[in-house]
Amino acid sequence: MIRSDAEPKARGALEYGTDLEAPGMLWAALVRSPIAHGRIVRMDLSPARKMPGVVAVVGPEDLRTLLPKAALEAERPVFPLDEIRYRGEPVAAVAAETLEQARRAAATIEPEVESLRVDARIEDIFPEWPSPAAAKDPRVVGHVHARFGDVDAKFRSAELVHSETYRTSGVHQVAIEPHACLAEVRNGTFHIRSSTQTPFGLRDDVASILGIPESRLVVEGTWVGGGFGGKGAAFLEPYAVLLAIASGRPVKLSLTFEEEFELGRTTLPSIIRLDTAVHRGRIVARRVRLLLDTGASLPGRDFAVGYSIGFLLGPYRTTAYEIEGFALQTNKPPFGPHRAPFAPQSVFALESHIDGLARRLGVDPIEFRKLHAWREGDRTAYDQPVGPIGLEAGLEAAARTAGEWRAGLPSGHGIGVAAGFWSTGVGAGGEARLWLRPDGLTILEGEREIGNGSVVQGLALVAERVLGLPVEAIRVEYGDTATAPFDSGVFGSRTLGALGQAVEKAARSLANTLATRAGAQTVQLEMKNDRVLVVAGRRRQKLVDLLTPEERAAGGIEAHGKHYGSERKIDASRVVTGTVYPYQDFTAAVHLAEVEVDRETGHVRVVRYAAFQDVGKAVDSASVTGQVEGGVVMGLGTALSEEMLWTPEARLANPGLLDYRLPRIRDVPPIHVEAIEGFAGAGPFGAKGLGEPPIIPVPAAVANAVADATGTRVYELPMTPERVARALKLL
Amino acid sequence: MSDGPLTLTINGKPQQFERVPDAERLLDTLRWRAGLKGTKEGCRTGGCGACTVLVNGEPTLSCLVLSHEVSGENVTTIEGVAAEKVGRIVIRAFAEAGAVQCGYCTPGFVVALAGQLQGDGTPPSVASLLDGLEGNLCRCTGYRAIQKAVVAAREALK
Repeated sequence: MIRSDAEPKARGALEYGTDLEAPGMLWAALVRSPIAHGRIVRMDLSPARKMPGVVAVVGPEDLRTLLPKAALEAERPVFPLDEIRYRGEPVAAVAAETLEQARRAAATIEPEVESLRVDARIEDIFPEWPSPAAAKDPRVVGHVHARFGDVDAKFRSAELVHSETYRTSGVHQVAIEPHACLAEVRNGTFHIRSSTQTPFGLRDDVASILGIPESRLVVEGTWVGGGFGGKGAAFLEPYAVLLAIASGRPVKLSLTFEEEFELGRTTLPSIIRLDTAVHRGRIVARRVRLLLDTGASLPGRDFAVGYSIGFLLGPYRTTAYEIEGFALQTNKPPFGPHRAPFAPQSVFALESHIDGLARRLGVDPIEFRKLHAWREGDRTAYDQPVGPIGLEAGLEAAARTAGEWRAGLPSGHGIGVAAGFWSTGVGAGGEARLWLRPDGLTILEGEREIGNGSVVQGLALVAERVLGLPVEAIRVEYGDTATAPFDSGVFGSRTLGALGQAVEKAARSLANTLATRAGAQTVQLEMKNDRVLVVAGRRRQKLVDLLTPEERAAGGIEAHGKHYGSERKIDASRVVTGTVYPYQDFTAAVHLAEVEVDRETGHVRVVRYAAFQDVGKAVDSASVTGQVEGGVVMGLGTALSEEMLWTPEARLANPGLLDYRLPRIRDVPPIHVEAIEGFAGAGPFGAKGLGEPPIIPVPAAVANAVADATGTRVYELPMTPERVARALKLL
Repeated sequence: MSDGPLTLTINGKPQQFERVPDAERLLDTLRWRAGLKGTKEGCRTGGCGACTVLVNGEPTLSCLVLSHEVSGENVTTIEGVAAEKVGRIVIRAFAEAGAVQCGYCTPGFVVALAGQLQGDGTPPSVASLLDGLEGNLCRCTGYRAIQKAVVAAREALK
């Protein structure tokens, strides 16, 4: 089945954020800090104001004038209030008649700055592993500590203790479309059009940052040229709004790719320590410690650690454990979500560790995982019941494929397995409005398709399955935040699972209403000659004949569906410090990689790949394949080549695609995708979200294949030829 | 070159633009003067391929070309490619293969592939076609579906 947006996109006919335009529009450019940490001593904006074509320049001093009644948010200052926190942080913004003029004017603003000590790396803060007292360091901006069971005693009496340290690097979402938005003031209301994953979240964010009421903001999403977590929270929009107020004209602001990299809110480096105690062939106790660079902190840094740390325990039964994580403030841009935030990195460490442990014990790595793997009804580390999960089924399927691959494995090749779990964000609420007209169905909702198909395809297929109406007769229409029903947005693999439930409920309510009117138990809809027919048993009647006079006048019948998740409980007594988070809907992925390692260069070639993905129930098999293939290849980038490199002054050394290497079309191996069904999720028909899970096990599967091929483990991501060569002692 | 008028034949139609700055890139002339926004703006450094157009039939990164450099030449954008047989076949192949997700890179891929498939005679080998797409980045699909689309489009044109 061909997605309705596929051909229009391929023809270049749809409007993305970068394409936005309005009559009388100005172009904006940001003035960015030349240092990573310091203070602005003086900044003269007047030369920029005199530059050709310049209409407005705004800096820290202008906020009061532009927004006299606003209560600006202190935690997320538009411009640095006191300290510059990272290199490239916007310190002023310019709007001019052309983009070139705006950029030239921005370049004339050279703030006089006073530098402060830069923390560029975790090691700048903690050269040694921190003691418990280290939590008092002001650069520790998040601290999570939890424990359960008699960990010390179990470690003392264990037959074997496996201890390792892993390191991971910063990686960027690299959506091919840069961030872009357009803001204008209409009758005292601020209208923002933006390439966003979360129109309502963006509205609330901008309102909070600028201290203006949400009722004065309207956000309309455009088509999104890749999100991957990077197009959620407010980013450029506050600057565009300020310039629109200052100039009285519509203002367009988009980023260069250099700015994308230098300002990007994304995954930052970590150091992970894992200790595992084994007795009689089973894991009896775990210690997990995490140092996570959260950059110039933003609200949410606690979440970065408190959520991630659970993934370091993995989907394994845990009798005794202690986990401790620190979120560290450095002078990098703020940490931000990037497809399954920090999970591929956590799972790289954990699954490398588990694999190495199994090998040390002389046990098959898949069998060793099966011994400990969660099954439905098991309890998580925080004593939450595990829901239906296709983990064991995934491991069994992977074992069969691994056996086939092993049979003909050329020398120098290796096979690696890795498992991961994820909790999809079905708790985040949303609503949808359905409008059934005599000639078809319209689903009205607030966010655009960001690419995975969950909106244009997923929601339409949910309505199709409930009502029986062919998907060709179902249209998804997008409103802005003033007209569309509320939804939390596209993130956390939630769209189908959460918003899909709202669509399902609305569709069922439509079907029930029509059934009552038709005097039947149930009805199905079908199309004939472009008209909707209501089928009740053997009886077919035109929809029009079942409508009330008011509905006929209005042109159709409407139904509204809401889904708001229920709260999940955890055992808080296990938490010593900070916040850990419950999981919502459990899902699993098991991956296999076959690699060939070049023994002279350290280059790793992925020869073939297999992914066994717990989908609950596949709503659209083509979308399943698309998500899994896309996630795997993005994960191969994280595994092998993608790495943001910062200098000791916290300057990003590779802010562009020439030095930050993404996978290309000739790099990708054959990928076998297998959907695991039968472990129902919370979504419609038992579906589970799968935007994020397919990236999670990839770096670990590749690392384990490298270890299998060479007998040597690589302890740091990405596994570049240089790192592999060092591990193999070639360098 | 001058900060002056520019003539381009865009999708078969000669077009005149007044006072085009020396440093203006073809990408910007096409998008903001000719209003052809199907050519997408990505990295602007020649690294992503989203802005690929045909200049005299050759796939070209429009972000790396100054508009005055190609004064008087034939430029074909995705809008022009989509209006012709080869382009239509390529677009159909991408849609059917599930090779379009966010779609931002897609016009660049379509132009780069259609540019290689144009002309009479046997189409180039699949390997050669894929080599021609090494400069086009896609972050959504993992390229597998694009590879399928390449094979299918080539088959359809054989």
